[in-house]
Amino acid sequence: MPRTSRTNNRTVVAARSGPSLNTVLTALVALVAVVVIGGALLVGRSGDEGTASTEALFPAGAHTLSTAEDGRVTLVEFLDFQCPACASYYTGVTERLEQDYRGRITFVTRNFPLEAHPLAVPAARAAEAAAKQGAYAEMYHALYEGFDQWAVDGRSTSSDVGRATATFEEFAVAAGLDLERFRADAASEEVRATIERDVADGTAAGVTSTPTFFLNGEEFRPSGGTIADADRELRAAIDEALAG
Amino acid sequence: MNRRLAQLHVVGGGLGLAAAVALTLEKIAVLRDPAHVPSCSIDPVLSCGSVMDSPQAAAFGFPNPLIGIAAFAVVVTTGVAVLAGFEPPRWYRVGLDAGTLFGVLFVHRLIAASLYDVHALCPYCLVVWVVTIPIFWYTTLDTWPALAPLRRVHSAVLALWYAVIAVMVLVEFWDHWRTLL
Repeated sequence: MPRTSRTNNRTVVAARSGPSLNTVLTALVALVAVVVIGGALLVGRSGDEGTASTEALFPAGAHTLSTAEDGRVTLVEFLDFQCPACASYYTGVTERLEQDYRGRITFVTRNFPLEAHPLAVPAARAAEAAAKQGAYAEMYHALYEGFDQWAVDGRSTSSDVGRATATFEEFAVAAGLDLERFRADAASEEVRATIERDVADGTAAGVTSTPTFFLNGEEFRPSGGTIADADRELRAAIDEALAG
Repeated sequence: MNRRLAQLHVVGGGLGLAAAVALTLEKIAVLRDPAHVPSCSIDPVLSCGSVMDSPQAAAFGFPNPLIGIAAFAVVVTTGVAVLAGFEPPRWYRVGLDAGTLFGVLFVHRLIAASLYDVHALCPYCLVVWVVTIPIFWYTTLDTWPALAPLRRVHSAVLALWYAVIAVMVLVEFWDHWRTLL
């Protein structure tokens, strides 16, 4: 017995010198973690510039903010009404784009509410319910212009459904909608299905974040860092498509 | 108690103390001026504003960082005392370990709240998460001789612990990390 125990002691000592089990296991865990996390992020990014068929991006019944007679240039935006980046794109890019290219391009907006934004789905429902009374564009503009009134508390994402719903109803009244019908539509199965269809189409087209734009079926990704860069690049791409 | 553990207590406790002080100061600033945007509110996900305003941020009816200021100060003081030659009696070490156990349980409760209720990460809180786990782990290993076999894989367990939390954060805020890339 004493012998065995001495051998054991020696093994323990031996294990402690050189790269120990602990060092090896730690390195292994760190390596696996880096590979998994890094790999996931890389794969996520290389979901890359997707292309998608026009029918999937612009199905019948999808909402347009501008329609081109010739139908040559179609810009599709997947958006989340509570996403701060989308709100920045609204003020910095799409609000003026819609006016400047009215009648020359077809500008389609699709819902892509992200899970991180608890009020994105209620907002999408409000927009779809307004659409049922022919006031999609009014609600779309009101949601972004009134972003600070419902989407955020200070600088953080709001989850105050009560305040948001009340704000949406104010927007609906301001747009002259029938409030009872607006409420019923916002809660309806049909509106839920419409939003789900948008999300499914977006996912199939490789959308993972918002806003994501498709210009004539091809994903548009600004290379510049700022909203102003994105505005310039998007306009250049649209001008090129219009000229081509 | 060994010197390495005492050094961990000084450095880890010091970082935790600094984070708790910073959070308390931000909390006071927000109370004085509700429009104040805390220095650690960078975007909707990295935001201590929404975390501080959540009910979990005052789990015992007062702001959590006050617990941190008191508890991390004890950890730092213990570390300094041990480095100065203090040999804590058994009851002191068991008491300290009980304190770190409370700390680590509380931190995991807050991690769950941050990820699944508030949906935001607060940078100062992350510092507290990161230091509380090794403080608990190494204090526990040092206090209980029965855990000797685990000492052979001490940092592997710690790495695995961090990795699991990192993956949970990654999964929960997947959309956010993707949009940053």
